[in-house]
Amino acid sequence: MYRYDEFDAQFVRQRVAQFRDQVARRVSGELNEDEFKPLRLRNGVYLQLHAYMLRIAVPYGTLSSRQMRKLAHIARTYDRGYGHFTTRQNLQFNWPRLSDVPDILDELADVEMHAIQTSGNCIRNVTADHFAGATADEVADPRPYAEIIRQWSSLHPEFSFLPRKFKVAVIASEHDRAAMKLHDIGLHLKRLADGGLGFAVWVGGGMGRTPIIAKLIRDDLPEEDLLSYLEAILRVYNLHGRRDNIYKARIKILVDALGLEAFAAEVEEDWQRIRDGALKLPDEEIRRIQAYFAPPAFDERPAAAAAIRVPERAFDRWVVRNTHGHRQPGYAIVTISLKPIGGIPGDASADQMDAIADLAERYSFDEVRVTHEQNLVLPHVRLGDLPEVYRALKAIGLAEANAGLATDIIACPGLDYCALANARSIPIAQRISERLAARQDQIGDLKIKISGCINACGHHHVGHIGILGVEKRGEEHYQLLLGGSGAEDAAIGEISGPGFGPDGIVDAVEKVVQRYLELRTGPEEPFLAAYTRLGDAPFKEALYAA
Amino acid sequence: MSKRAPDVAVLTANRLHDGIVVFLSADGRWVESIEAAAVARSPDEARALQEQGARDAAANLVVEPYLAEVAEAAGRRVPSRMRERVRVDGPSILDDVPGYVRAAAAGVRPLASNIRAPHNPGGEGSDPVSVEAA
Repeated sequence: MYRYDEFDAQFVRQRVAQFRDQVARRVSGELNEDEFKPLRLRNGVYLQLHAYMLRIAVPYGTLSSRQMRKLAHIARTYDRGYGHFTTRQNLQFNWPRLSDVPDILDELADVEMHAIQTSGNCIRNVTADHFAGATADEVADPRPYAEIIRQWSSLHPEFSFLPRKFKVAVIASEHDRAAMKLHDIGLHLKRLADGGLGFAVWVGGGMGRTPIIAKLIRDDLPEEDLLSYLEAILRVYNLHGRRDNIYKARIKILVDALGLEAFAAEVEEDWQRIRDGALKLPDEEIRRIQAYFAPPAFDERPAAAAAIRVPERAFDRWVVRNTHGHRQPGYAIVTISLKPIGGIPGDASADQMDAIADLAERYSFDEVRVTHEQNLVLPHVRLGDLPEVYRALKAIGLAEANAGLATDIIACPGLDYCALANARSIPIAQRISERLAARQDQIGDLKIKISGCINACGHHHVGHIGILGVEKRGEEHYQLLLGGSGAEDAAIGEISGPGFGPDGIVDAVEKVVQRYLELRTGPEEPFLAAYTRLGDAPFKEALYAA
Repeated sequence: MSKRAPDVAVLTANRLHDGIVVFLSADGRWVESIEAAAVARSPDEARALQEQGARDAAANLVVEPYLAEVAEAAGRRVPSRMRERVRVDGPSILDDVPGYVRAAAAGVRPLASNIRAPHNPGGEGSDPVSVEAA
């Protein structure tokens, strides 16, 4: 894992001290809310429906056991005993007191964490494939590049007042597990024609009010040019991005308005001016950062397959659904589902966080990952340790074998917490989970994603089945979307037709699933493939025919 | 949210130091129970509440006060919008939150449930709910 150097440590401590002073001045009345709001947002503090909310950055979703234990400690000491893992691989606390936030930030700094740039019109926390550095299907670990981008973008003076927020994701596999094409910039690390590493650069993706799949702006960017090219994109966006209308301020709108060709030409012109300047990445600097992400000291003796057999069908199901092939023989990547049946997607108690930190320390070289699908990952588990890990997860209620299944639902906090929301998301996720649990193995791969408003934090646009909460005459109402995908086959779902009430939407999802089961060619044809083959007509018929 | 003043309303805000939902009471205090809130039944009464709210926002007691429409039934005040009902009742899913500890038992310092609003004439009016981009 990356460790703070002296500069990082000093910079974070200084920022905490500054914010402590700003909070004191707000509470004393020296600053009014208009003056204070941009300051608190820059430190991850929102004011939500019931209380303040603190969003803590988890860079590229990677946590150590020590960091996870600190989050548990903060949940217990300053909050109400739990935290919420988000679709940006971050963690949110829902109940901190404003006056406690500086102390919380100091505690976070003790373990090299912060909440800087988790809000505001700046470059946000960089996300990455949650299986990075472990999965067998990547060309290299993408996290060193995410870390390089983090360092470049932290307090970047030119990009601290962008037209709107800016999100970057990095992957290194053909299979996109990070919704890369739904980001302002998506980076796909790959081998270039000359055999060296480089990037396919995607630009102008995003969800929200205007969902757009990112466009490929460059397919062959050498790794040494990563920062200069990103800088050129940001400069063109900063210059031309709209600042008169918050709903048209993201780079996706600019790319769409200019057209990719014209946008790319402007980027190219700027890039040619700066590409050989100070931002050229020296090979030794890339290797220096990569050294922080060196593979752990794996046991070179793979466990015999027999070692992981346990006479328990539930364990077998869990191994099938919640483990993923590791690049190191004898190891597996374990997904810890934060989606117990009928539970709250992404929530974890302080005790669960501590238990997971213990598991990571004991069985996964001290590493935990946060996924954008609101689960956790133990990236490096010996096959022989899987039974023990499973038993330990079962003891804390987190051994549901549902990764990628219908009950593995993304849901934003929705109207239960969020000041932006129009409708609740979490209870809808809970009811759908309960409704489909008994048949989830039969249904197979199915991604259901729920947002409580058009901002789409719950990624409803790219759910195979998406749900959008709206307000209709003061009450909750839900639109259904079908056929979206956030993976390498990225697609925006289509609204099925008239929406539904809070009870009706659960029935509607069940009808769609039932129709899929009736019409699929067999269990080998997953929902999205069946929808693509059949089109929306049979599903609309199931939903709306009398 | 409509900017038209509702017919029957209470004034609500979030408390500055901890963000907790509060309502303006008839004696000028900010209280956590909607049942103790002052109810405006005319435009003049609503305006008076808003003016008090603006003063208290300027005095850094509360953040972003606004009128919330309520219906009165069986002696209870029920907000008209779902959003406000959730603010009054709290998250609807707390019973399912893993490890949730209520504020009183959470080990945090007790919250001051009532704040006396000092008289602070001359405060400016404030907009209705302003939300923060995600």
